[in-house]
Amino acid sequence: MSAHATSMRDALYEAPGPKTRRRTAIGTVVSLVLLAVGIFFAIRQFYITDQLNERYWSFLLEWTTWRFLLEGLWGTIQVAIVSGIISMLLGLLLMLGRIGHNKVLSVICRVLTDLFRSLPSLLLIYFFFLVIPKYGIRMPSFWMLTIPISLAASGVLAEVFRAGVNAVPKGQTEAAMSIGLTHGKIVRKIILPQALRIVIPSLVSQLVVVVKDTTVAYVVSFPDLMQNARVLISNYDALVSMYFVVAIIYILINYAINQLSIYLAHRSGNKIVTRASENPL
Amino acid sequence: MAADNTAIIQMHHVDKHYGELHVLQDINLDVQKGEVVVLIGPSGSGKSTLCRTINRLETIDSGEILFEGKPLPEEGKELAAYRAEIGMVFQSFNLFAHKSILDNVTLGPREVLGTPKAEAEMEAMELLARVGVAEQAHKVPAQLSGGQQQRVAIARSLAMHPKAMLFDEPTSALDPEMINEVLEVMVELAQEGMTMVVVTHEMSFARRVSNRVVFMADGQIMEEGTPDEFFDHPKTERAKDFLDSIRGH
Repeated sequence: MSAHATSMRDALYEAPGPKTRRRTAIGTVVSLVLLAVGIFFAIRQFYITDQLNERYWSFLLEWTTWRFLLEGLWGTIQVAIVSGIISMLLGLLLMLGRIGHNKVLSVICRVLTDLFRSLPSLLLIYFFFLVIPKYGIRMPSFWMLTIPISLAASGVLAEVFRAGVNAVPKGQTEAAMSIGLTHGKIVRKIILPQALRIVIPSLVSQLVVVVKDTTVAYVVSFPDLMQNARVLISNYDALVSMYFVVAIIYILINYAINQLSIYLAHRSGNKIVTRASENPL
Repeated sequence: MAADNTAIIQMHHVDKHYGELHVLQDINLDVQKGEVVVLIGPSGSGKSTLCRTINRLETIDSGEILFEGKPLPEEGKELAAYRAEIGMVFQSFNLFAHKSILDNVTLGPREVLGTPKAEAEMEAMELLARVGVAEQAHKVPAQLSGGQQQRVAIARSLAMHPKAMLFDEPTSALDPEMINEVLEVMVELAQEGMTMVVVTHEMSFARRVSNRVVFMADGQIMEEGTPDEFFDHPKTERAKDFLDSIRGH
């Protein structure tokens, strides 16, 4: 939106000439008009179908509604944070096992990574909800949700970490070898710290996926934001307004996570910024 | 510069292939303690590969390499301990990008030799002062010029008190005005009696500093001799052609 082109745009496109600037200006006006028309029709449609009626919105003025939503939000945050941590640790272990020298372990980690990556998290949740209890293993709904979400994310994260490790230049390893570091120390002191910095943006986008995955909590009746919103919807018969509010909350959460990612990328990027480019990774 | 007569590095009948390509063919080379050996030759001649086999960054197919009379360890802790005794300076510097200049130099002593932090830092500062980059100690590598980075890389190697040092085209990635600042540090090392194997295109360095020039082409050592012998009276046609081509410009 700002008048200054971002660095990404600078990298991909040349500076616009007079014709391009004119075309861009026309395009901007046209899309703003279309956007206004779209919003107008959406509101009109809400009005026609009586969705703007006070009875669909008044419950949002009550403290109990918000307390209930906040309880759900707290559930969502708990699941997201615990899943985020487990999936990162598990993803890291899967990656280390896969790139290690032990052939058997490597194959096992590779199969698990691909399995977790390709199974839909909903299917994993059904497995923990419907199949595992049949074998007498009982667990709270929190874990029936958190474990499968963690597993699904760990597969993706293992691949993200592996991409990060591959992105560390080979010369770093060779230099570490040449001063006599052992394999374990090279991984811990040289490769992983650099690989993690490289993948921070991907890690955070995966955290966004985890937050979105938590919305299937209703399957195991775990009271997350979405589940509690559904309860409110049936109590107040307020589908559109409730989903509208919940959507905004999810957008805010994920926007905050993305801002965090930009901040982290900047902070670690500054440390290894190259002379040639002033822009961090 | 007088070399005594103990061969610290010995290579006997070393062969190596990259698939079809025979990159090292029956290499025999002894390096005496305190000797400076310069490897020159056209690109693709195998000189870098030869240099890298000495600390086993490249493995060999057959033949043997001895260091102080003992075959190189093949893996694990023994190999790491061996590499700690040999300094290596790379064409692309390879400073640890996420660590400060000071940490780059202290990492080896602290992690490998077990030197206490304060002592390692004191020695690192001395080394950085010696190569002229002490003021940069708390910057990260990307903030330094190429010449400065390469001098730090030399300091990083020296911090391990190596018995010999390998230089794999140490000035090839540098802007022309930075080449001399690195070469000066290398000249000083040579004068202090460091055993050095240097792959380089810097003929003035070879002539001025080396005890012996080894000319390679097509994976073979074509000829070797003192710098004066080699540069003034090359014996093989390949060497004559090579010298003509670099003098041509």
